[in-house]
Amino acid sequence: MTVNYHPSTELLTAYAAGSIPLSQALCLAAHIEMCDSCKQNYKRLRGLGAFMFGQGSEQEHAASRETNAHKNLRQQVFAQIEQDKAVESTQEKAPALLQSQLQEDHLGKDHLGKGRLSSRRNKADAGVKTQTRIPKCLQQFIPTSYEDLPWQRVSPSIKQVNLCSDANGAQVALLKIKPGGSSGHHTHMGDEYTMVLKGAFSDETGIFQQGDFIVRDKKHRHRPIATKDSECICLTVVEAPIQFTGYFSRWLNPLLRLIHPSYAMQNQ
Amino acid sequence: MSKSTLNAQSQEAVAAHLEECMRRTAQKRDKAAFGELFDHYAPLLRAYSLAREPGAMLVADELAQTVLVKVWNKAQTFDKQKASLNTWIYTLARNSRIDMLRRNSRYTMEIDPEFLWAEEVDEQADPFVAVQQKRAEDTIANAFQHLPIEQQEVLTKVYLEGKSHQESAEELKLPLGTVKSRIRLAIQKLQVLVGR
Ligand SMILES: [Zn+2]
Repeated sequence: MTVNYHPSTELLTAYAAGSIPLSQALCLAAHIEMCDSCKQNYKRLRGLGAFMFGQGSEQEHAASRETNAHKNLRQQVFAQIEQDKAVESTQEKAPALLQSQLQEDHLGKDHLGKGRLSSRRNKADAGVKTQTRIPKCLQQFIPTSYEDLPWQRVSPSIKQVNLCSDANGAQVALLKIKPGGSSGHHTHMGDEYTMVLKGAFSDETGIFQQGDFIVRDKKHRHRPIATKDSECICLTVVEAPIQFTGYFSRWLNPLLRLIHPSYAMQNQ
Repeated sequence: MSKSTLNAQSQEAVAAHLEECMRRTAQKRDKAAFGELFDHYAPLLRAYSLAREPGAMLVADELAQTVLVKVWNKAQTFDKQKASLNTWIYTLARNSRIDMLRRNSRYTMEIDPEFLWAEEVDEQADPFVAVQQKRAEDTIANAFQHLPIEQQEVLTKVYLEGKSHQESAEELKLPLGTVKSRIRLAIQKLQVLVGR
């Protein structure tokens, strides 16, 4: 696959450092799954983080090792691995299971909330074989296929589905544009990150194909048009959501319209 | 022999020794070897946590404990063909920090970070890539000390303190654009990236 538009150096650096909002990380992860060059560069940037992590004053570290805090922590960690060992030995009856668990756990993939999503993910694994491949990072939101999502009509040529929101208020959504359709002119309050998952679209600045990653800032006013031969599905992360969101929340929450007259006005 | 060459050699020796400790931890479940890993990495892990939250000793201990218990439990999954020991442990630390930030609501609970950082779980180890990676790491180690202080400063904000570009700009009292260009310049000087 030829990917032509990549995240900037400084964005990829922030991603490697883990110092960006998860919504942006999601968008970058989707790109990296489709882009070998960014994957390789991500690993090298992660290597820089590892180097900095491993630096520091050897004197200070040596002093730190002599503190009671260090000795207490050592005791606690050894106590915990003893305890875990007891649990481990009861699990030895199912070595195959343990082995697959270990494989899966390589490199810190042991995040919170795993149990919550594992059943959804199993369904996703079964689904992807026949569909357009859904990036691994998005399978938590797209359990079976793009088609099965609760798409909401935004305009005659556009459908949208909101996936989640971030702690900073950013909205993560998928947009589906009909072949040859346009999303219309729009601007936004904050930055907008777009990742083309399927098909292609163009605007005043170029043609964007599957795998491409684009950032638009708030000054940018643009009018994306899907190519004629197929529909286009994009992942978008909008820092300060645009008007589509108003439409969607009106659908979801008619009460809000009653409580907030401004809501009804804005959506007339 | 120059001082920095000597220094690099002793660092190589330390790294090789720690890798041997890791091998014994994984294959023999050797607690003495694990103890050496603990003594080396606990101060680094606490420093990493304290860089983000100065003075938060309990948080630092929690992060160090979480990561070191993982090092013991997941020792068999470590593969030095895929990533160096430092990289492996740094990645565990970075991910644990993200988990902790989610728990105290600074990161969203709506997004599961499990598959957000493309790690080499399902990849075959490629010796060629491993050699390249090692060479890149050596270049970084040699060039880092020659970076201008202001470039080291922004990298520290982003990598160790876990600050966003915006936060870094505010704390360093610099325009956002300056923070970004300093990062770009530093990455260029360290020759981190290929193909750009
Ligand atoms: Zn790329």
